Amino acid sequence: MSTSETRVLDTSLKRRIRNGALGLGVLAVALYFGFMALLVYRSHH
Amino acid sequence: MANAHVSDTAHHDDHHDQPATGIKRWLFATNHKDIGTMYLVFSLIMFFIGGSMAMVIRAELFQPGLQLVDPGFFNEMTTNHALIMIFGAVMPAFVGLANWMIPLQVGAPDMALPRMNNFSFWILPFAFTLLLSTLFVPGGAVAGGWTLYPPLSEQSGDAFPMLIFAVHMMGASSIMGAINVIVTIMNMRAPGMTLLKMPLFAWSWLITAYLLIAVMPVLAGAVTMLLTDHFFGTSFFNAGGGGDPIMFEHIFWFFGHPEVYIMILPAFGIISEILPTFSRKPLFGATSMIYAIASIAFLSFIVWGHHMFADGMPEAAQLFYMMSTMLIAVPTGVKVFNWTATMWRGSLSFEPPMLFAIAFLFLFSIGGFSGLMLAIVPADFQYNQTYFVVAHFHYVLVPGAIFGIMAGVYYWLPKWTGHMYNMTLAKTHFWLSAIFVNVLFFPQHFLGLAGMPRRIPDYAVQFTDWNMVSSIGGFAFGLSQILFPILIIQCVRGGKKASAEVWDGTHPTGLEWTLPSPAPYHSFGTAPEIR
Repeated sequence: MSTSETRVLDTSLKRRIRNGALGLGVLAVALYFGFMALLVYRSHH
Repeated sequence: MANAHVSDTAHHDDHHDQPATGIKRWLFATNHKDIGTMYLVFSLIMFFIGGSMAMVIRAELFQPGLQLVDPGFFNEMTTNHALIMIFGAVMPAFVGLANWMIPLQVGAPDMALPRMNNFSFWILPFAFTLLLSTLFVPGGAVAGGWTLYPPLSEQSGDAFPMLIFAVHMMGASSIMGAINVIVTIMNMRAPGMTLLKMPLFAWSWLITAYLLIAVMPVLAGAVTMLLTDHFFGTSFFNAGGGGDPIMFEHIFWFFGHPEVYIMILPAFGIISEILPTFSRKPLFGATSMIYAIASIAFLSFIVWGHHMFADGMPEAAQLFYMMSTMLIAVPTGVKVFNWTATMWRGSLSFEPPMLFAIAFLFLFSIGGFSGLMLAIVPADFQYNQTYFVVAHFHYVLVPGAIFGIMAGVYYWLPKWTGHMYNMTLAKTHFWLSAIFVNVLFFPQHFLGLAGMPRRIPDYAVQFTDWNMVSSIGGFAFGLSQILFPILIIQCVRGGKKASAEVWDGTHPTGLEWTLPSPAPYHSFGTAPEIR
């Protein structure tokens, strides 16, 4: 751990940060594959 | 309220208030101020690399005929100038400002995800080394324009997959940066700081971050499919295999138009901070400013077809895209009106950030008005692929986005370094920039209206005079930018001590001004209470 790092100790805040980041990350990945899936579908119809 | 927990739940590791020494400070940086500084320095380097490409372009266009570079290299310059300025200069500069200022403005001790913050920065030097190295591979760099339209973009050699990989890395970096901004703002605001009490810069970045998460994956998906078309035998965009190259344009601009707003909304936030400070008045209609930014962001998703009028589309679609594009003028007009009303009967003073902000207001509006002209379908058929379009988007991006960034740097630099900078040098930088940016880009309106096509290294003799004027403006603008890093280096090394308020007598609002200058390496270990 870097001496420059500020650690968040509160577990509920930690959980909210982790869940928020994971949710947004999953959204981004879903949009990436979703758009490609949409185009694959369109290219067959 | 959830945010109230921050004060007693965050602490600085080892209770050190000093940064690590040497290269480790930067390689393993997790402090938002260090990472913000790295983003800003990186973007400045990219600004000069992209700018040098612009100088090659303007030198070649100084007179008709082929003078300095071969046409293929000219096309590589136009393509890479755009990619570097958009993804390397403007976007990282705003992320740098977000890293520095969002925790300070919302009263948070740091960004919510400091290690991801480090990762999202350090991807960028590798991405741009890869992108720049394409200039030296067999066949040269990608030369089909930053829009990467197939089949033109696929006609590159080894540069093509390198560019696609670089774009993926830039996208991943942007998405991680956006996630960090959203999670920080939503979870780490100081107690009592409701969303509507949040400063406009943080608000503009919150909305921008959602835009980034929505559209960067779309670009990544589109270029992945270009890659599979090129190497794995698919035909998504290959008409020869039953694919549809126009489909790529739709997907690209579904990303591309929100991308334009990604590059301007944070500048709106910065201007909304600066104008009230130097007018010594609160921002007029602050809540309506937030709604206006949100409206612009929403509309950015439904206007992409205006980039493709000349491709041909049903009349109903033309009307829809034309009307929806014009609708953007309403929230933008609200913003311009509110900024003007903020200055109205204010006690104005004209420090460098204010000068850049006022220039932004006038010159960005010129870019906005020429955008309205381009939104008119029959007019667009005339202007499409001409220098009028080049003039339009450069007015939006140079005296718009880049002046916004410079205004922000001039506004907060004393807070970062603890020193006031050389005001005379900064004002000289402003006046040279403001004059020559117009000498550079305004004649391009005339060239475009007269029919000069964009992305060409040679032109008909009738376009010579305005091209010469534009090139002289370009060289002068480029040279005047050298003052900017000189001024920053001077300011970092020393100067008159800045007070906590920095702009004495203006009483700027915002938590960043409650901290001493320079802002301590670890700030808001105890969260401030907002009333």
